[in-house]
Amino acid sequence: MAGPEKMRILIVDDEKTIRRFLKATLVSHGYDVFEAANGAEALKYAVSSHPDVIILDLGLPDMDGIDITRQIRERSKTPIIILSVREDESDKIAALDAGADDYLTKPFHAGEMLARIRAVMRRLLPQSEWSLFTVGNLTIDIAQHRVEVNGCPVHLTPTEYALLKVLVLNAGKIMTHRQILKEIWDKTEDVEEALHLLRVTVSNLRNKIEPDPDRPTYILTEPCVGYRLCTDM
Amino acid sequence: MRKFIVKKLKAKQNKIVPYFMSIALVAVTTFLGSLIKGAIEPTNIVIFYLLIVVMAAVWWGRYPAILTSLLSVLAFDYFLVTPYLTFAVSDIQYVFTFIGLLAVGLVVSALASKTRQQAMDARGREEQTAILYRLSKDLAASDSLEAVLHTIRMNVGGIFDCHVAVFLPVDHKITPGSFDPGFPIDEHENTIAAWVFGNGKPAGWDTDTLPAAKGHYLPLKTSQGVFGVLGVFFKDDKAGLDPGEYNLLSALASQAAVAVQRAKLTEISRQMELIREREKLQTALLNSISHDLRTPLVSITGALSSLLQDFSSIDAETRKELLETAYEESGHLNQLVGNLLDMTRVEAGALKMKTKPCELRDVIGASLHLLKDKLEKRDIQIHIPRVLPEMLLDFTLMMRVFVNLIDNAMKYSAPGTPIEITAKLLENKVKIEVKDRGLGIPEEDLVRIFDKFYRAVKPRQITGTGLGLSICKGIVEAHGGQIFAENNPDKGATLTVILPLKVKEA
Repeated sequence: MAGPEKMRILIVDDEKTIRRFLKATLVSHGYDVFEAANGAEALKYAVSSHPDVIILDLGLPDMDGIDITRQIRERSKTPIIILSVREDESDKIAALDAGADDYLTKPFHAGEMLARIRAVMRRLLPQSEWSLFTVGNLTIDIAQHRVEVNGCPVHLTPTEYALLKVLVLNAGKIMTHRQILKEIWDKTEDVEEALHLLRVTVSNLRNKIEPDPDRPTYILTEPCVGYRLCTDM
Repeated sequence: MRKFIVKKLKAKQNKIVPYFMSIALVAVTTFLGSLIKGAIEPTNIVIFYLLIVVMAAVWWGRYPAILTSLLSVLAFDYFLVTPYLTFAVSDIQYVFTFIGLLAVGLVVSALASKTRQQAMDARGREEQTAILYRLSKDLAASDSLEAVLHTIRMNVGGIFDCHVAVFLPVDHKITPGSFDPGFPIDEHENTIAAWVFGNGKPAGWDTDTLPAAKGHYLPLKTSQGVFGVLGVFFKDDKAGLDPGEYNLLSALASQAAVAVQRAKLTEISRQMELIREREKLQTALLNSISHDLRTPLVSITGALSSLLQDFSSIDAETRKELLETAYEESGHLNQLVGNLLDMTRVEAGALKMKTKPCELRDVIGASLHLLKDKLEKRDIQIHIPRVLPEMLLDFTLMMRVFVNLIDNAMKYSAPGTPIEITAKLLENKVKIEVKDRGLGIPEEDLVRIFDKFYRAVKPRQITGTGLGLSICKGIVEAHGGQIFAENNPDKGATLTVILPLKVKEA
C-alpha cells in the first residue's frame, strides 16, 4: 500500500494513550499520522492536511461525532472510520448514515483496524482494478455477472445478485440497512417490510454461497447496524 | 349490608300501629270481661287489664302501654263497674282500684319499656359489632395497601349506601388514593380532606367545620398519628347522621386507620428489604469487581512491567509469551466489564429492549462469529430448522445470551467434545438448547447457577464472574421467555431457552 508517497491518516481522539497506541501501530505499518484531540482541530486538519483516511472517536468532549462526520462529508470524500464503545449502537448507525465508512468497537485488535483501513482505501480504487472479487472459495466477477463457489457457478435471483454486488463493491466495509435498501430498492426509509425482504434475501443468499449457512463466514451480520462482506478469511 | 338502615325506616313507618293495637287489646279484654262480669268480682277482672298493660309495654314500648293503662281504667269504669255505661261510680272503693290500676300500669310500662330499650340497644351493638367484625376480617385478608383501600371502600359504601374515598398523603400532599367513581373529587373537597389530615378532626358535611362541603371527612387516626382521611358522600339529600350512624362511622374509620397504618408499614418494610437486597448485591458486586478486575490487571501489569524493565535481557520466546498473557488477560477484562455493564442494566431495570423482527439463525450465527477466535476448531453442531418464523427480539441482547451460553458450554467441557445447538419450533414458542458433553452441573445447583455471582464448579483455571447466566436470565425474562438448566442423561449439561414466538404485528 505504502507507495513512494506515504498514506496519510488523521487520528481524532481526546485520549492521549489511545492516540499514542494508534500512532505507534500505524507508523510501524508505513502510514503518516496526524493527531487531533478535539472536534475543532479535527475539522481544521481534515481540510488542511489532506488525509487519506480519518479515524474519528465518537465521544469527543467539544463536539458531537455525528456532526463532525457530517461537516467533513460536506467538504470531502475522505473515508472516515468511527471509534465507539459497545453501548453506542444508535450513534454508530447515525454516524454511518451521516457518511462514515466503517466503525471499530473499542477495545479493538490492531489487526482489525489495519484491515478496515485497507478496506476503505480499496473502495477508492477505480472499479476495473477489482471487478474480480475472491474470498475463501467464493469468486464474484462483476464484469461478467458471474458468481462461483468452489469453481461451480451459482445461480442467483436478480435481487440476490444486486445485494451481493452492493456488498462486493463495498467489500470489507459495513453497509447499514438503510444504505443497502437505498442501493437495491431505492428506498430511503428503512420500513419494516423492506427490512424483512432484506433479511430473507440475505438468508437465501447465504444458503447458496456459504459453506455453512448457520455459521456465515462471507456475509457477516453487524447486529442492528447492517451487513459486511468479509475480505480476508 | 343495608339491613341496618332499612330496619330503622320500617320502625318509623310502624309507629302508629301499636296504638291501634293497644285500643284493640283493651276492647277485647273489656268484651271478655263483660261476658263474665256476673260470675266474678269486677276487681278480679283488673288482673287482666294489668296483664295487657304489661304486654303492651313489652311489645310496643312506653307510650302504647300508658295509653293501654288509661283506656283500661276508662273501659273498666264505663263497662264493668256499676252503674254501667257511665263514668259515675257507686262504690267509692273502685276509685282506689282505678288509681291502683293506673299507677301499676304506669310503673310497669316504664320498667318494661326500659328493658325493651336495653334489648334493642344490645341488638344494635351486636349488629355494629358484626359490621366491624366483617370489616376487620376483610381487612385482615387484604395483603396490600391497594387491597386495604378497596376493602374500606366496599365495606363503608355498602353499610351506609354512600360513595367513599380514602385520601392518603403522597409527598406531603393529600391525594385521593382510592375512591368510588361517584365521589365528588375536586380542589375544594381535597382542601377539606387536607385540613382533616392536618388537624386530625372531622370536617365537611354534617359537621361544624366547613359544613357546605359535599362530603363528610374523618381522619384515619391511630395512636401513631393520622394516616389518611376517609371521605363519605351520601347520594340522596340526607339530612344528617344520627348518633348511631355517626358512632358506627367513627368506629369503622378507626379500624380502617389501623389497617392503613399496618399496610403502610408493611410497604415500607418491603421497600427496606429491597434496599437491603440491593445493598447486598452492591457489596457482592464490589467484592467481585475488586477480585475479578484485579486478577487480570495483575497479570497485565506484571507482564508489561517485566517487558519494560528487562526488554533486551528477555529472550524472544518469553517476550512473546508475556505479551500473549497480557493480551489474553485484557480480553478477560473486557468481557468482565461488558458483563458488569449488562448486569447493572438488567438490575436497574434499565434494560431498554429494542425488539425487532429477527431470524434466530442469524442471531446464533452472529454469536458464533463473535466467539470465533475462542471456538477455533471446536466442533459446533447446529440444528436450526430452515423455515422458522421471524421472532421479535432485541438482537444484541439475545446475542449476549447465546454468547454467554456457548462460552459457558465451552469452558465447562473438554476441548475435543462437541457442543450442540438445537432450535425447535413448539406451538407458539421456540426452544433453543445448548448442550455440552462436559462436567455437568451438581443437581442442587441447577437453579442456583442463575443467581448472581454463583458458580457451580469452581476450578481455578476457569475464569468468570458468575454473572453470565444471571444476565442471560434477566434478558430472556425481559423477552417473556424462560431459561433453565438440566443434566444430560449421559454426560454434560443442557441449557434451554424458551422464547415466545410473537406474531409480527401488522
